Amino acid sequence: MATLSSLLEYYYETMQEALFPLEEERKRIVKKLQTVALFMSIGAVVFFTVLHQHMHFAPLQAGLLSAMSGFLIFMFVYRHEKAGFTALFKDQVIEKLLYQIDASLSYRKESAIDEEAYRKSELFLEDYDRFEGSDLVSGSIAKVEVRFSFLHTQQKERDSKGRERWETIFQGLFFCADFNKAFKGKTVVLPDTAERTLGVLGTWVQRMNVARGSLMKLDHAEFEKIFVVYGDDPIESRYILSHSFMEKIVLLQRKINRPIYLSFVASRIYIAIAYTKSLFEPILTRSLLEFSYIKEYFQLLNTVVGIVEELKLNEKLWSKR
Amino acid sequence: METFLIIGGALLFIFIVLYNTLISKKNQVDNIFAGLDAVLKKRYDLIPNLVATLKEYMLHEAGTLEKITSLRSQALQPSLNAQEKMALDKELSSTLGSLMVTVENYPILKANENFLHLQHTLHEVEEQISAARRAYNQSVTDYNNALEMFPTNVLAGFMHLEKKEVLRIDVAERENVNVKNLFR
Repeated sequence: MATLSSLLEYYYETMQEALFPLEEERKRIVKKLQTVALFMSIGAVVFFTVLHQHMHFAPLQAGLLSAMSGFLIFMFVYRHEKAGFTALFKDQVIEKLLYQIDASLSYRKESAIDEEAYRKSELFLEDYDRFEGSDLVSGSIAKVEVRFSFLHTQQKERDSKGRERWETIFQGLFFCADFNKAFKGKTVVLPDTAERTLGVLGTWVQRMNVARGSLMKLDHAEFEKIFVVYGDDPIESRYILSHSFMEKIVLLQRKINRPIYLSFVASRIYIAIAYTKSLFEPILTRSLLEFSYIKEYFQLLNTVVGIVEELKLNEKLWSKR
Repeated sequence: METFLIIGGALLFIFIVLYNTLISKKNQVDNIFAGLDAVLKKRYDLIPNLVATLKEYMLHEAGTLEKITSLRSQALQPSLNAQEKMALDKELSSTLGSLMVTVENYPILKANENFLHLQHTLHEVEEQISAARRAYNQSVTDYNNALEMFPTNVLAGFMHLEKKEVLRIDVAERENVNVKNLFR
């Protein structure tokens, strides 16, 4: 794991200079988008006038039509420009930050955790209709095989009026690694929303969740408050979730401060950290020359890479060595 | 008549649910105890090898090694009840624990591959034992709760079910062994 001071040094001594051309590119894109926005606004007004005065459209219809056309053309240009810039940003910022943290890791911006791993984890049992991901990092951290990437899974739904809607099942970081103990069964640790909001009734609701397996009550008060655990073997679940390991999960949860889902299936650990936005994507309005902006990406990567040490996944028991 | 049938049916249904709850909790305790027994057996299986290896090096600890062997043979007797089994296991755990501390005084032993393998396996089995004890205690707590809480307590009284004792887990045991120290 790299420190913030090492990043500071790297940023000002090496990275910043390399970022100047990219920053110029960002400014060019912002300028271009501003110009497009201006032209589209003027175009929309002209279009409105033509529609309203020469083609006799009602003002509301003409207004909507011209505004929509202007907006769609703008969005087309925006998406095109943003995609190009995102690719450059990932090559020159994300990849470099990652190598600064651990040069042995491999980064593929267009790949992601595969669907098989997602399904095997059994973290999200809902059927998905859309599976998207990016920024796959893989390699060995402290001799532990690790893979993580951004993932976004969605389900198609229809509302009462029959309109199509995309509901997010999971959006965020998906991490999988070899676990340091050998086990055969399955243990799933989910954020405990039912018990926190409904109290004893919540426990009853959790017990009714038959798709998940048996509810496990664990002997760590704080862990129990934050998480709910399901598993198919009470002894094995406790073998995995030892006291010290539960303590580490609680600390990780506090550090990340996002909903965390964990599962332990066939000697592997899967961790999903939910976010409400895309990760590793640039924000066009922020300057790359601001250290605090780059620092956010660094900290995110550093935290994920640090999970191996945080959870001591590298301290393997004999049968796993 | 119909009302009586409905009430009777509902009461019968409640009776069945409560009865099954109690029986499943009781069986869960027995199941997990069997699981605990299985991991304890794993440890007993390791002991002859461990003792044989240690005998060559730890001449001054012959007494302790003999004690371990005798505890093992006592624990393997089929006539033991659960309480006796657990008492023997506790004694074996602490004797093994103190023996492992004295290993520090035998640097040649610490370099022996066979011993290291046994030591690590023993540590792993001990983690499993600790997990099984925790699982057992939770199942006993669930069972005891059902015996004391209304309405299952009424039925439990008729069924002559008795409370079970949880296993005492020492503080030192609750804290996991620091693997790093062990693998130095």
